[in-house]
Amino acid sequence: MIRSLLWCSCFVLLASAPVQAGALPQVRLFTTGGTIQSKGAHRQKLMEYSDGRVTPSELVDDLPELRDVAQLSYAEISNVGSGNIDTKTLLTLAQQVNAWLALPEAAGAVVTHGTATLEETAYFLNLTVKSDKPVVVVGAMRPFTAVSRDGPMNLYNAVRVAATPQAKDMGVMILLNDEINAARDTTKNNTYRVDTFIARDVGPLGFADSDSIVFYRRPIYRHTSHSEFDVSKLTSLPRVDVLYAYQESDDAAVKAFVSAGAKGIVNSGGYSEPLAALKDKGVVVVQSDRKGSGRVVKSEKVAAKGQVTADNLPPQKARILLRLALTKTTDPVEIQRIFDEY
Amino acid sequence: MNRLSLIVAVISATLLTAAPMLTASAAEIPTYAPPPAAPPPGTKLPTVVIMSMGGTIASRGTPRLNVANYGGKGVPRVDPQDWFNDEPELATIANIRLEDGRPPVDRASGETQGDDLRVAARLRVLMQDPTVDGVVVTHGTNTLAESAFLMNLIIDTAKPIVFVGSQRPWTALSGDGPRNLYDAVRVAGTKEAAGKGVLHCMNQYINTARDVSKTSAYRVQTFKGIDVGAIGFADPDIVKFYREPLRRHTMASEFAGRDYKDLPNVEIAYAYRDAPGYIIDAMVANGAKGIVIDGTGAGSPTTSQTDAIKRAQAKGVVVVATARTHGGRVQDTPRRREAKIVPGDNLVPEKARILLQLALTKTKDVADIQRIFNEY
Repeated sequence: MIRSLLWCSCFVLLASAPVQAGALPQVRLFTTGGTIQSKGAHRQKLMEYSDGRVTPSELVDDLPELRDVAQLSYAEISNVGSGNIDTKTLLTLAQQVNAWLALPEAAGAVVTHGTATLEETAYFLNLTVKSDKPVVVVGAMRPFTAVSRDGPMNLYNAVRVAATPQAKDMGVMILLNDEINAARDTTKNNTYRVDTFIARDVGPLGFADSDSIVFYRRPIYRHTSHSEFDVSKLTSLPRVDVLYAYQESDDAAVKAFVSAGAKGIVNSGGYSEPLAALKDKGVVVVQSDRKGSGRVVKSEKVAAKGQVTADNLPPQKARILLRLALTKTTDPVEIQRIFDEY
Repeated sequence: MNRLSLIVAVISATLLTAAPMLTASAAEIPTYAPPPAAPPPGTKLPTVVIMSMGGTIASRGTPRLNVANYGGKGVPRVDPQDWFNDEPELATIANIRLEDGRPPVDRASGETQGDDLRVAARLRVLMQDPTVDGVVVTHGTNTLAESAFLMNLIIDTAKPIVFVGSQRPWTALSGDGPRNLYDAVRVAGTKEAAGKGVLHCMNQYINTARDVSKTSAYRVQTFKGIDVGAIGFADPDIVKFYREPLRRHTMASEFAGRDYKDLPNVEIAYAYRDAPGYIIDAMVANGAKGIVIDGTGAGSPTTSQTDAIKRAQAKGVVVVATARTHGGRVQDTPRRREAKIVPGDNLVPEKARILLQLALTKTKDVADIQRIFNEY
């Protein structure tokens, strides 16, 4: 499946030379699928839309207005819902985005993605893209075929941001609903409504308004060209699982994770009893939180257990960072340093 | 009198004699646990000035459940020294210097922009002092964000200035003042807080003066950056920042580097269904050099207001539009350009007023004022 998709993407890359002349910035669209590329049985269908996929060329041909914003080319990475994005796809995506942005003529990149795990892919790119050129991850809450669909305006604005010099060195951005959000800090917050992506703790970086692209904030945590992680030669990443915390949760899931080969476990709550036995097994434990906002504070107690605190990263993002950290080290002190900086 | 009643009588007498002492010093902060230990000798602490501009944090309420009807004429206030006496652990996180910037207790009027400008001049002097690392300014919460934004535009410093207040009096049950003051001093003494413009810290959130607004009348979580959120947190373990604000401020402000005695008169007109233009005419007749119209939706005045705006502009008055939604930007549209109305970006009207006041000290040119609203 992946191989055939890769073959497809190469074909599309070859076939998709920019068609516009002039001085417009060159932006490449990397498509992975998602609701933004989904078709529903009828135009009021906002759920269970699995009546066909939108190809990259359909997506671009649907938006002739983009010709005034950028010279757009595209590459298909996959065409799947975001629940089917796997490690290989992530690594392929990061490698292809990096290859594109390394070209002097490249101005920026846009990635289409299903919204359910969009924030995970965006944060992964935030840590692995080796460029300060804008990278914008975009999705939609309503399918391509729906009335009042949000996808086209989101895509239009994503390309505008990717073509904007002021968007340089902002880290990877997420754009839906006119808001420019930082990949690190943004989470899907609502199952169906269009204002779903929210940086709960710290808010958006700026806005794609109709008169201009406006930025108010620059992220401080390390990202993209300031990141120490390099996935250019990797074909896999260490296994890390997330333990959901609830009353009376025991070590059954932890044992299963370890026997499945987990090198790290992210815990989503303060109940650390089930994890106590992991210290001598070489499995790194990161304490995150299921609440979705606020920092897990650093404490000597947690450090003494050889565990790491996840700052304000939600479990699914702490997992991404831990996987990358484990490509470098298994030392909890060093991994804590990484969680303090990214 | 049996022995029990004797004991009760003695206790009552003790309480009676103790009661006046309680009102003499604000000793209502809970002491169910001791203050944290002092740092080891030789620890280098930052020097932080606490400048009082009063506010609920400097108010006493009696009894301690009084969180809505405190203060007023003749009621004793909490002086800066009281804060320090009540919360001696402030000295474990900073070398504290106390300053009182409040207007005299017997003055007829409440706090004015003149007080802000007077305190700003003093802050400029303090910021030049090489021994000062940061300043905390206490302020009443109602107009705190306006004062903070003014300072953000006129004080030429990279050192942290942190505004703080409280929603409940210093003496209230579950008063938020003591922890807010403690956290504000921590932020003012943090190196990473430098160069971010004037900050605000209450309820552990660190916000920027430009973007913060009071959003709830009485609840302790009231200050929010409506459009763009907080930039950091004063958490129990550490002060941590996530965002660098991009709009011009403090060192990079063209309005900083001088003292101001007063500022040009700018008024705010609120828009609503059938809002009349004669209010704007009255403002102009009263000497307004600028008008901020807090428009409906994306910054729209009524027809009557639009006519009055044209009359005002004919007299050289500059008009800025904000949005009464208090979230989202007023955009630069061809229609607004034609009407020579400056879009106020996402500033709330009370802050657009301050920026327009300062802009009018430099220029009356609409294009240049537009540039100023795009950059600050």
